[in-house]
Amino acid sequence: MDIDLEEHQADLAEIARRFFESRSPASAVRAWESSEAGYSAELWREMAGLGWLQLGHPEPAGGAGGGALELSVLYQAMGRTLAPVPHLESAVIGAGLLAAAGTPLARDLLDRVFPGESVVTPALAEDDAGFGPESIALPGQLDASGALRLDGSKILVGYANSASHLIVAARTAPPEDTAPAGVTLSPATPSGITLALVETTAPGVQLTRLPNTAGYPLYAATFDSVQVGPEAVLGEAGTGWELLEPVLDRAAVLRAAQIQGAAERLLELSVGYASRRTQFGQPIGRHQAVQYLCSDIAIHSHLTSLFVRYAAGLLDAGLPAGKAVSQAKAHASRTARLAPERAHAVHAGIAFISDFDVQLFTRRCRHWELDLGDERYHRERIAAALAA
Amino acid sequence: MELRLTPAQDEWREEVRDFLDAELPARWEKSSEWCEDEDFWAFAMAFTRKVSARGWIGLTWPQEYGGQGRPAVDQLIFSEEFTYRDAPLINHIGWGLAAGALLKGGTEAQKQRFLPPIVRTEVFWAEGYTEPEAGSDLASLTTRAVRDGDEWVVTGQKTFTTWGSHADMLYLAARTDPQAPRHRGITIFGLPLHQPGITFAPLPNIGGGRQNHTFLDGARVPHENMIGEEGHGWDLIMGGFYGGNIGAAYMEAQQQLDQVVAYCKRARRNGRLLIDDPVVRDHLAEMDLLVQAQRLLTYESLSNLQSRRPPAYAGAIGTVVNKEAMPRFAELTNLVLGPLGQLAVGSDWAPIDVASGGPEAWFRTSLRNHAGGTSQVKRMVLATRGLGLPR
Repeated sequence: MDIDLEEHQADLAEIARRFFESRSPASAVRAWESSEAGYSAELWREMAGLGWLQLGHPEPAGGAGGGALELSVLYQAMGRTLAPVPHLESAVIGAGLLAAAGTPLARDLLDRVFPGESVVTPALAEDDAGFGPESIALPGQLDASGALRLDGSKILVGYANSASHLIVAARTAPPEDTAPAGVTLSPATPSGITLALVETTAPGVQLTRLPNTAGYPLYAATFDSVQVGPEAVLGEAGTGWELLEPVLDRAAVLRAAQIQGAAERLLELSVGYASRRTQFGQPIGRHQAVQYLCSDIAIHSHLTSLFVRYAAGLLDAGLPAGKAVSQAKAHASRTARLAPERAHAVHAGIAFISDFDVQLFTRRCRHWELDLGDERYHRERIAAALAA
Repeated sequence: MELRLTPAQDEWREEVRDFLDAELPARWEKSSEWCEDEDFWAFAMAFTRKVSARGWIGLTWPQEYGGQGRPAVDQLIFSEEFTYRDAPLINHIGWGLAAGALLKGGTEAQKQRFLPPIVRTEVFWAEGYTEPEAGSDLASLTTRAVRDGDEWVVTGQKTFTTWGSHADMLYLAARTDPQAPRHRGITIFGLPLHQPGITFAPLPNIGGGRQNHTFLDGARVPHENMIGEEGHGWDLIMGGFYGGNIGAAYMEAQQQLDQVVAYCKRARRNGRLLIDDPVVRDHLAEMDLLVQAQRLLTYESLSNLQSRRPPAYAGAIGTVVNKEAMPRFAELTNLVLGPLGQLAVGSDWAPIDVASGGPEAWFRTSLRNHAGGTSQVKRMVLATRGLGLPR
């Protein structure tokens, strides 16, 4: 029994921390945020050169080896510096689904995704913005040849403007005929969801930017009679959630790791400020009220790191991890609210000023908190495990 | 990283479970720690001696002091099972605080003399840190020990001495040098309690039991019972590592959560099972997160022990999380159980029929926050020693 990282994972954490601190300073984060792409192509290429887009994928499949634990230390470092890259969308979820599907088209695309030449992003959420399989309703008409016609809209699609392809989750069988209502950890019946690989430039696809507090490149994607050939269907029709669930579990843990990195940085900023800033003739950090605010961030950040490590460890060991994943993301989503709130309280007026860095973390955390299942979604998944 | 137990460790867990199945009643209405009465004492003492007979006290200690030299993970498994069953394992000042100080700062002769009787549960130790005017600010303690030849003469008052009137030895912190800076004038002793000059006065508590005021009036302790160096008691107090024992407090909460979930699966309100009520489900998920946070901190402590690494944030985070989680946990329990939750264990219609899972849990919350230092004090340690904020 040992919950410590292995030495090579601790080394990777240190390398990643130094890399992102030198390549993704706050000034650059501000500049990228207001750019069209929303990220740095140079940083993305450099990460590809280091093999970090292949990290967490097995070597025989063209990956660089490692698993969720290796990725989690990378994400913690990206969280500390808010490094804006479409890694989770493309190198984790996109590549994960392409590798799992394993079709010739998917293999070809994967060969371009790993070196960072193509970006692939998932299109899952719809009007109700729910995260589970029952929130996927976009109708997909399957014909006898296995081809698919898509009509409807997806929202909150990250980096769609930079993507060559979307992976669209469509409903090809009604939920009442398939999985039982409510969130299921391992559906006994097929989900009735089908995954389709759709080029962003295909006829009938329209992308619309969704301005948001996080400054994150989020898009709506509308599909008007979009035709998808049988070769572009990922996995067996009707079993899309089965393909998605393990990939999204990994992604949720990594989002949690990223939140933890941001919280850790907010702690450093807050402790530093509380030690320097003098009021009433002494550093404000000598006041117990301020000490409580700082220790709140420390406690939440530290616990999130343990939840992440535990869930990632279970995923990598191939042990049942669904509940631990939801514990990690539920806790991280809470940390994503609490850490910025406490940091603002410590910094008070100055944190309200745009030139000050705290707000960059606060705003990005607004997306991360809600992405890949918000706290409510994951708490319900924990409850479902308890009720089982 | 290894999240699985070995087959041998799984077998060890089974062995502990079998022992508890055989030695504990199926339904356990009394809860340890605050419940000081004669029936409980007799049962707890007999039970603890059976644990001793197995060689399970001092599991991780070196064999030359009566221990088993077993790895920390075995101790954790033991603690998990004992805590889950609310087993009345007593003498924790003996095998915890006193043994911890002896192993760390005791002389070879002291270890040989004091540890084996603790292993055998022959000598019962009570705690002698807290005073009426020295609670959170323990370093302000005023009980005096004055050297008199080969002995020290002790005068002062201690309080919250659980089982004091039954104990054989007092794990005592006394001021030996009033001129020294307050953290440098404190010394630790093992004070024999069966002597004139020591009286106890009962201190009834809200759990229905009692603790004690302890009055020391010229009590004598041999110099050879001084643990660690003269004037260096504070180092032992702050560095207390509890006899190498790794506790599993979260199993108390896990047990309670299991009771509450089981109740929600059989109880109906407003025409549906409680477990199908979305608000109840959300409360249960939060309770699960509170348990899991404490479990993971314990796993981290185990890894720290195994790699001999100091704990994060000056060791304060685990205590703070435990002490702050449990009031919320008790609150959520009450919200889920509703009006029936006020009924005592044993009452008709009581929703839960074991003491540690029922409304008595509230008393534990109050106990947990002060025992070993309040969460507020631990927060100060976390902020100053852990985060480096100015004092």
